[in-house]
Amino acid sequence: MRALLGTLLGLPLAVMLCGLLAAVVPADWHDWLVLMMLLCLVFWAALIVLAGVASSHWRAGLTLLVANGLAWLLLQTTTLYGGA
Amino acid sequence: MRVETMKRQIDLHAWVGIVSGLALFVAFFAGAINMFHHELHHWQEPYQAEAEHGDANMQALLDTVIARNADAGNWMFLIPGDEPAAIWREMVDGEAVWHTEHASDFNDAGEAVERPHSELAGFINELHFRLGIPVVGLYLMGVISVLYGAALIGGLVIHWPKLKKEFFALKHQGNLRRYWKNLHNLVGVISFPFHLIFAVTGAAMGCFALITLTMGALVFGPQFQGAATDAMEAWPTPQASGNSATMAPVDQYLATAREQLPEMEVGWIELQQYGDENGVVDVGGSVAGNVAHHAHVVMRADNAELLTVSAPGARPFNHFLLSPVYSLHFGDYGGLFVRVLYFVLGLLGCLLFVSGNIMWSERRTDRQGPSRAAAIMLRLTLGVTFGVMTGIALSFMANKLAMYSPWPHTTVVAEKAAFVATLLVAVLCAFRFPPLSTARVWLPLCAVLYVLVPVLQGSIEGFASWADPDRLLVNGSLLAVAASLFLVDRLRARRLRQAGPHPLWEGTVHQVSARPADAESVL
Repeated sequence: MRALLGTLLGLPLAVMLCGLLAAVVPADWHDWLVLMMLLCLVFWAALIVLAGVASSHWRAGLTLLVANGLAWLLLQTTTLYGGA
Repeated sequence: MRVETMKRQIDLHAWVGIVSGLALFVAFFAGAINMFHHELHHWQEPYQAEAEHGDANMQALLDTVIARNADAGNWMFLIPGDEPAAIWREMVDGEAVWHTEHASDFNDAGEAVERPHSELAGFINELHFRLGIPVVGLYLMGVISVLYGAALIGGLVIHWPKLKKEFFALKHQGNLRRYWKNLHNLVGVISFPFHLIFAVTGAAMGCFALITLTMGALVFGPQFQGAATDAMEAWPTPQASGNSATMAPVDQYLATAREQLPEMEVGWIELQQYGDENGVVDVGGSVAGNVAHHAHVVMRADNAELLTVSAPGARPFNHFLLSPVYSLHFGDYGGLFVRVLYFVLGLLGCLLFVSGNIMWSERRTDRQGPSRAAAIMLRLTLGVTFGVMTGIALSFMANKLAMYSPWPHTTVVAEKAAFVATLLVAVLCAFRFPPLSTARVWLPLCAVLYVLVPVLQGSIEGFASWADPDRLLVNGSLLAVAASLFLVDRLRARRLRQAGPHPLWEGTVHQVSARPADAESVL
């Protein structure tokens, strides 16, 4: 169950974390887009592992939901959307 | 690490392994054989002692295909070789349909010649990258690769503290089950880097579309799709202008490529909007001596004027990272030695997945008593494992039997039908008979079938055909599969002789008896 939650909620979180990384790194993300996508896969797998070691299902799910929400809010402060 | 955390890591490793193990077994077994994909393309066709090169060339093939299908030049790949091939896309009701045509499919007048053909190599490849499931199979394998990556990370966390000890742990210690556990751990630890490569590159190939979609929706906006395509391609996809133009000959494209990259071995020629004044040609291939060996020389289609070159040491960072994703996955960077190494590691990977599933089933029964889930998982594992192995062997046999029968045009259907029917029979048998009987019958059967395939091929096409390098390599790989299956069968028999069968293997689900709680743990 925890791994399933990690798989479902880990993908958007991994993607948004990579987006935040692109906003922070002082280089055009177009130039390292493939690296960003590879990192996204690694983050996704790592999030599944982290969700798996949570002490309970609801804690894993809640933490991932809150993290997704926070990452989304932070992304709204960047100019990434529509800048592709 | 706290005991509780370690226990959860072990549970995660086991569950993720269980979910993805069978799909990974299919991908690894088909992938191991697929290491000789090019040779298999030759193996699947009727043997000719003297290859008929004739005057077939890529220009003639290109002209013929374009003359027969005006839209074929919108996107086409020309593959050079003894028998050039043209792979082109047709849009039917908005859906892309890919066609493959060979030079020998046409006579000198450019008319289609009816001849039997096989799709065995393509079928094995499809089993490898999408489990033979159209459309969604690729994405499914992408997600499974991510889960596989998670299982590897978990496995590393579990085994890191005792890594050194596990290299020397392959001994019975008075318990045969301990031997299988140690074997699982040893194979996992030794081949860890190889598995990591496969998890990352497999996930990349399967999930890049999903990642692009999600990144576009959440982070960068819908234009991200175009940015990703531009970053990964050697040259942006051209748009047709509607003005036709005279195209340069294929030899001129090759001459431009040779001039720019004399050391490149041409693997394909990609044509886009061929026949239009905006047409672009990408001569792609390989520069030996590099892991990231892919290279591209892009030029205009009408006059072969150079547009760009992307090669080792001279390419954007995105291409620098993308090229090894493919070469590390396909193992095509180090010649035959690396391909044989990948073949062996692929088969070892199969052992890892099957042993993991079996140990999980036994441990669950040991710890929790009779378990329907454990019994079903064991039977499903045996059914799918034996079904896939036997099915592929019978597909090989069906290829030769159908190709030389009075109905050679049934070859493609026969290859796939043999696989599907065998898989179904194997799964049904696994659920109908006790696992012990299933393993006792099907494991040696698989091994014998993989010996029989080269024998059948030799007896039909002549044993002199074994000297053909491509047939030699494919037949050799099948015999190596047979040898490894005989070895596993011997280990199985020894375990049975020395330790006796686990109750889970003996009877039906309802007859399973409980085991002592202190039995061996899987991990």
